[in-house]
Amino acid sequence: MIKRLFDWLKQPLGLIAVGIVFLAVFSVAVYGLSLTQKAPDQPIQFPHNKHVGFGIQCLYCHPGASKGPNAGLPSQAKCWACHNQIARTQTSELLAPLKNAVESGTPIQWVPVAQVPDFVQFNHRAHIAAGKNCEDCHGDMTKVTVAENPQVFNMGFCLDCHVKTAGEDKVLLNKLADCGTCHY
Amino acid sequence: MATVTDLNISEVKLSEEYVGKWGMFINQDVCTGCQACVAACSMENNIAFVGPEDAGYGRTMNWIRIERFWDGEYPEIKMTSRQPMMCQQCGHAPCEPVCPAFATVHSQAQQLNLQVYNRCVGTRYCANNCPYQVRSFNWRDYKRPEPLPNQFNPDVTVRQRGVMEKCTFCIQRIHQAEDKARSEGREVADGEFTTACAQVCPADAITFGRVDNPESLVSQLTKQYEGLKHLPELGTLSNVSYFKGG
Repeated sequence: MIKRLFDWLKQPLGLIAVGIVFLAVFSVAVYGLSLTQKAPDQPIQFPHNKHVGFGIQCLYCHPGASKGPNAGLPSQAKCWACHNQIARTQTSELLAPLKNAVESGTPIQWVPVAQVPDFVQFNHRAHIAAGKNCEDCHGDMTKVTVAENPQVFNMGFCLDCHVKTAGEDKVLLNKLADCGTCHY
Repeated sequence: MATVTDLNISEVKLSEEYVGKWGMFINQDVCTGCQACVAACSMENNIAFVGPEDAGYGRTMNWIRIERFWDGEYPEIKMTSRQPMMCQQCGHAPCEPVCPAFATVHSQAQQLNLQVYNRCVGTRYCANNCPYQVRSFNWRDYKRPEPLPNQFNPDVTVRQRGVMEKCTFCIQRIHQAEDKARSEGREVADGEFTTACAQVCPADAITFGRVDNPESLVSQLTKQYEGLKHLPELGTLSNVSYFKGG
């Protein structure tokens, strides 16, 4: 039975079948991988480049970064503080979700882009206090519209910087390269 | 066979010389065995509820338990003091060298035994080598009934199946207190924070703090009551001291 199957696979039609199956699996895998590299869909196509271009600081909309673990995503009230003074907000199609959110009082469901797994405990405050800038990890926001990750937030990326920051300081290295600093 | 000279003796410290960082003092005389610490620990650290079936297999999950002992034969028994037992955060821990995945490592910065969940492959060697029997294993993916998932502590990882876990001395609270102190430009004060079990204990039987600071409450109580370590003959250099007057 098995021998007959192999014999059939060895003839030209069989080889073509094997090739088609291989191509199908390969293309599905590539498509799956490409999905993981795409920024998720947001309720509003928020243009970071424009807002940063106007000179708005990152911490104005994400103030949690300097105070605690989470940088935070702004509520519609924060957007509205500026946008209700801008005439185009009322007519723009792209800003309709914001107008609806303010009028109905339902929060905008932003999708977090820069995420770490559940077993990683990240604290923004410590990084800002250590003199890190937002763009060191999140990339240059003047160049992107909807937030994208300039790199994968994996352990190599974190540890690289931790070891570099510690340098020759053995006490600091013990602390920054300790498993218990991030995993608990 | 390994001889004494084969071991790296210079790294082995005697219990008199060893000073940890975080430690506990437990006064068994005032412990009432109310299990409040067990409940508080479960809530603080997202410990799974295993249910009656797995509990029947002896797969209960606790990071702290109250051991009870008694004297004499039934019906002439006399209860002796209860004994809260949790990870002793040994300075020379038997669980650490046996892990093939380096998932249970010693924190040089905090002087604690860490359990790195994302490294753990679930060999359970560490639990079998622990003389205090304080490690528990996730035999299944235990689900909490609604609405209990809403009260998960976001600062602690929710463990999944096949992962070993144990008391961390509430390392999330240690980090929180250290982070707060650093943001205010000071050192962490003694008694500024404590572990969930010590916080909830109605009899103040559990005291948590820095054992390397002779001024701290835990050091003073340990000195005053001459607190004893469990199984000191194993050389585990435990960081928890017990007192039982009787």
